[in-house]
Amino acid sequence: MIKAEPISIIRFLGNYYDIIRELYNLQNSEGIIKHEQLAEICRRYDHDIQQQLKDYKILRPLNSDYELRDVYYKLMEFILYEFKPMLPETFEKYFVSMSELYRKIKEGVNGDKMILSERIINLQVQIREFLDGVEKNTVRLLHETRELKANVDKMDYRVKVHKASFWIEYYIIPLNQVLNINYQDSVANKLLEISDFANQRRLNFDEEGLRVQFEKLYNQLIQTNDDLLRQSKILTNELLPLIERIRTESLILTGWIEFLRNPYKVTTPKILKSGRSGAYNKNLFFHTKEFFEQFIEEEEVFIEDNPVDHEQWIFNKTNVKAKLKEQVPVQDFFSWCKDELMNEFNEVDAEKFFAMCTLLFEEDIEKEFSDKGSKTKIKTPHSKMTVPKIKILN
Amino acid sequence: MEYPKNHKDIVEDLMAGKFLLPSVKYFDSLKENETFYNEFFKESFNYTLTVTNDFAYVISPDTQETLSRDISIFFAILCYELDRDGRNFLDQIQYSEFEMEEIDRMFENSSFIDLILSNKQLKDTDARRSLINAMNRRHIVEKVTEDRFTFTSAYKVFIEFAIELAKSRSKEVEPSNN
Repeated sequence: MIKAEPISIIRFLGNYYDIIRELYNLQNSEGIIKHEQLAEICRRYDHDIQQQLKDYKILRPLNSDYELRDVYYKLMEFILYEFKPMLPETFEKYFVSMSELYRKIKEGVNGDKMILSERIINLQVQIREFLDGVEKNTVRLLHETRELKANVDKMDYRVKVHKASFWIEYYIIPLNQVLNINYQDSVANKLLEISDFANQRRLNFDEEGLRVQFEKLYNQLIQTNDDLLRQSKILTNELLPLIERIRTESLILTGWIEFLRNPYKVTTPKILKSGRSGAYNKNLFFHTKEFFEQFIEEEEVFIEDNPVDHEQWIFNKTNVKAKLKEQVPVQDFFSWCKDELMNEFNEVDAEKFFAMCTLLFEEDIEKEFSDKGSKTKIKTPHSKMTVPKIKILN
Repeated sequence: MEYPKNHKDIVEDLMAGKFLLPSVKYFDSLKENETFYNEFFKESFNYTLTVTNDFAYVISPDTQETLSRDISIFFAILCYELDRDGRNFLDQIQYSEFEMEEIDRMFENSSFIDLILSNKQLKDTDARRSLINAMNRRHIVEKVTEDRFTFTSAYKVFIEFAIELAKSRSKEVEPSNN
């Protein structure tokens, strides 16, 4: 049991991160933290925290020396994104454990519900661990192969090929086999088989609780399959053709690979901050206007129809037509319309004018068009129209 | 006082953060009056003018770091992916036309996907389009159509940056003679 509050341990990790980082590096390089090395690091940082490191169970004693406990080692590995490559042989244990759990789940599907549930949970843990391991390995292999490509150490081509062959032979090809869905004994293939089974059971199982568990397992496997496909694509596209890729070398690419290792810690080329408008900028006025306009608080405006504003006018065709008939022959129909409107309303409104024009389409009105093509002009408050002269005969 | 020819255009472009390229007719006027402009930008705005045979641009003490970083990441991933694809990335950048669809494909399938997804200017098609537009405004790329673009000679600023970084890192690991 750890006496300290969990939050105290988390704070402790934050406060003494530099020391823990050094201990992590030491364990990485030497596999162990010697008693005197621990004392020296603490002395250098002027923090006497050896007892707390032991009390909080961050360090595990090994005779008179120490090592970081697995959980803290993995935490550091994860937050620093520095993973040790696992030999693909290590993944075989997942194949064995998953196959065994799957077999027992299948066989015990009608047996004790409690143990069935436990086996499903354990299978999920194994799948999670396996995926985690594959992802860590791909990250590490990408890192190693990019280093080879960048070749900052200026390795001889022969040495580079030797290193690349090592990675390919012992890590990349075997990992590719683990992820190869077409290979019968691959973990990926086993997962596919389990996924089919979980899919059937999630739709067809008497007990609801277990049905939900199969559903969760199935969803996890769908996601795992996508993730493994992504890892497999990296292997095929980037890691397997490694020998081919390290054949060419370029200083530019070395720079870019170095930059991409941590792009947020390198000072990039300076470029002008163009946020302000110079005196010559033609957009200065608009930028300033736009800037100030954002602070203007506009009053809300409501628009309401006011029906009393104008009286709705209805065109009485019969009356107007009768009036026209009384005055025939009319020499210029459009001028007649204009005069009529002027007499009645004191203006020529376009809407009323067009309404009167519809009389021209009346079959019993006889029209005659001017051969000379003479025109007449009609002016409304908003437009000017040039219309032909049309004579109304009857 | 008499100003050099096309003074207004030169100042307007440079002050907007654009790279002035030899294809622009007033590039020669700037080159001929390089000393004057060096002094002009230094005295007026405390900006430093850089003029080469391929481009000219000004930098302020207060730099637009985010954009520069995003463009550098863009170049880095593009070069890396072109090389991975077995293509000569420098030739491609110098002479080829790029299609947005091709850029999208390259970025979506890149093993730097985590970095891409965490970058606001690179994370998806729209973000990348907006970065290309920003580069277009600064004359780092030239848009041929809405979906196609070429790089201008301003790409050399970023390539030079990669070379310098590689050199400095190589020096760091060189064994000491002492």
